[in-house]
Amino acid sequence: MLRALRVRQTALAPLILLTPAFTVMLFVVALPLAFSLYTSMTPYRLIRPETLDIFIGTRNYVRLWDNAAFWAAFWRTILFLAIALNAELLLGLGIALLINKLTWGQRTLRTIMMFPMMFSPILVGFQFKFIFNDNIGIVNNALQSLGLTDRAIPWLVDAQLAMFSIIVAEVWMSTSIFAILLLAGLLAMPRDPVEAAKVDGCNSWQVFRHITLPFLMPFIFIAMTIRSLDVARAYDIVHVMTGGGPAGRTELLWTLIARVGYDNARMGEANAMAYVSTLLSIAFTVFFFRKLMAARRYMGGAE
Amino acid sequence: MGRSLKALTLGVSATALIAGAAAAEIDFGNFDGYTLRVKLIGGAQYEPLYAEIGAWEEMTGATVQILSRQNHFELDREIKQDIAAGTLNWCVGSNHTSFAPQYGNIYTDLNDLIPQEVLDAFVPLVLEHSTVGGRLVQLPRHSDVSNLFYIRSLYEDEARAAAFEAEYGYPLAPPETWEQVRDQAMFFADPPNFFGTQFVGRDEAITGRFYEMLVAEGGQLFTDDWEPAFNSEAGVRALSWFVDLYEAGAVPAGVPNYLWDDTGLGFASGSVALNLDWAGWAAFFNSEEDSAIGGNVGVTRAPMGAAGVRTGWSGSHTFSVTETCDNKEAAASFVTFLTDHDRQMVEARRGLLPTRTAVWESAMGEFRDAGDDFMVEVFETFQTSMAEDAFTPPLIAEWIEVSNELWPRLQAAMVGDMTPQQALDEAAREALVIMEDAGYR
Repeated sequence: MLRALRVRQTALAPLILLTPAFTVMLFVVALPLAFSLYTSMTPYRLIRPETLDIFIGTRNYVRLWDNAAFWAAFWRTILFLAIALNAELLLGLGIALLINKLTWGQRTLRTIMMFPMMFSPILVGFQFKFIFNDNIGIVNNALQSLGLTDRAIPWLVDAQLAMFSIIVAEVWMSTSIFAILLLAGLLAMPRDPVEAAKVDGCNSWQVFRHITLPFLMPFIFIAMTIRSLDVARAYDIVHVMTGGGPAGRTELLWTLIARVGYDNARMGEANAMAYVSTLLSIAFTVFFFRKLMAARRYMGGAE
Repeated sequence: MGRSLKALTLGVSATALIAGAAAAEIDFGNFDGYTLRVKLIGGAQYEPLYAEIGAWEEMTGATVQILSRQNHFELDREIKQDIAAGTLNWCVGSNHTSFAPQYGNIYTDLNDLIPQEVLDAFVPLVLEHSTVGGRLVQLPRHSDVSNLFYIRSLYEDEARAAAFEAEYGYPLAPPETWEQVRDQAMFFADPPNFFGTQFVGRDEAITGRFYEMLVAEGGQLFTDDWEPAFNSEAGVRALSWFVDLYEAGAVPAGVPNYLWDDTGLGFASGSVALNLDWAGWAAFFNSEEDSAIGGNVGVTRAPMGAAGVRTGWSGSHTFSVTETCDNKEAAASFVTFLTDHDRQMVEARRGLLPTRTAVWESAMGEFRDAGDDFMVEVFETFQTSMAEDAFTPPLIAEWIEVSNELWPRLQAAMVGDMTPQQALDEAAREALVIMEDAGYR
């Protein structure tokens, strides 16, 4: 009898220990997700709380299907993610490799490198909005003073330049995240394979391509996964720099959802949009996670 | 505490209130031990008034707990969240005439709480703009309306004046019509070094600018039965004014992305000839320390459109008292204090437009005594404008939502993605859906 009780206790122990974590997950993640899924099937307006009780099924999703502005923002967001994350990766990798070469002042540089991460995205937005201002901004003034152009370039208005300017701000703010993570990878890398390769006559490119880069791949995919999840912080930058304009040229899912949900107070419709964008986030995360697993298997010698 | 403010202020003569001299003598009541919970708009131009709150606390024995202090757009989101969550457990909130209709009946009718003698001291038109559905849901703190600032020296150069007259057939003088502004802006423009004029180009800011131009051109936003009517001939004319100047390079190329700071700082940099703007910038524009055109700024009343109507898009920053407030007398006392003569003088000295008739005179008197002729001229111009030209957007809950359909299309016309007619037709279709969804049609 006592033995049976002990066995049952042992079997229950993991469940009991996990209960606090499950409870937190339930209230912080699962219930809000379920609630927002429900609201996405209502005409819920923030300023008319009674609309929460009206169930309209998939009407918001059907409306989204025909909403050209939403799909334009959807594809623009994918493009933004692809360009910004890859640019941050390349620059972060370059910075990490350069800092790894240093024998003196490395710690100081590592600290300086983290400065952009300390700014709130709103401040970064204001800073770059004035840098790229066509009339009194520093970029145009510098280009005109140097005689490189005689016109005011509309950085935040032109169809391509506006998105480019936002990406520059985003890359400035977040490249250091890649650099820090990749530098950690480089510092953890064993020296023996590199030295053996050099003894065998490999040049620097061959060492980087066949030894350093494969070793860094898990770090790269971890950084990519983290960034693809928190890149929505760029909302503040876009909101301040262009507000999604002009004429929707820089509209991303986040600015569109915030405008529909809060300014227009149509939270039901905004939640339907948010659910579709959550699927996008999950797709990116799954993609990078599978790449991460593949890279780790490769490093473990399984392939 | 049970006595209403109405009773408390009965003893104060109306004459003294109008003169404003006896403001300090008003009995704001006794609310000893009570904590008044408030949500206020924050930002550099709004903060100096809040330094006065301590005086009200001292007079009444109450304590003010500021729950929130952020810009109006963030505050708007927070109030909407409070409505949704049923957490309107505070008493006084900053409000704005353009935003107030969205909030339904969460704010109480101040006609029932504030004595008529106090209300009589306000500019009647501003109180009218603060009324939604017959209820005075807000007490105006200061107002906004725009007039035209210009660089004075541009009009004093005889050779330039002669060249202008030869080209356009009439003498060069500060413009009286928007047609003249277009002519002069194109004449003065020398991009990228100098621009004829500029305008805010995004969010509700450009909707408001288009709306006032529409009215000046004789158009209207909606018909009497709420069908969008801004895609009319007058609407196309109004939008074309912006598009023509943009296409001609007479305004900075970045204007579709400009907000108030960009136009204000741009004009102060000395690179723009004519600038329609709020009075709050006036002292900054004419300051020799802050501005490249300090001492060289003129101001004239906002010009007229083809219909002979002056542009006058206006709004007021206000305070409201919630219906759910547990001590409306204390809340009414607080908002009366924050909008009384002396408190409005605190803001008027900084160039913000008062909402009490007597404060206009007091502020101009102070500027005159200090020998600041420019600020006297600014206040005279803006006083006329507030009294005769000011009008608000339609005071309906859907204004911001309609604006969000309109402004991206106005931008699309400016940057050449659509013609003005296409842009307005598309915005009108979307606005019609909003009005139908809201049950207007």
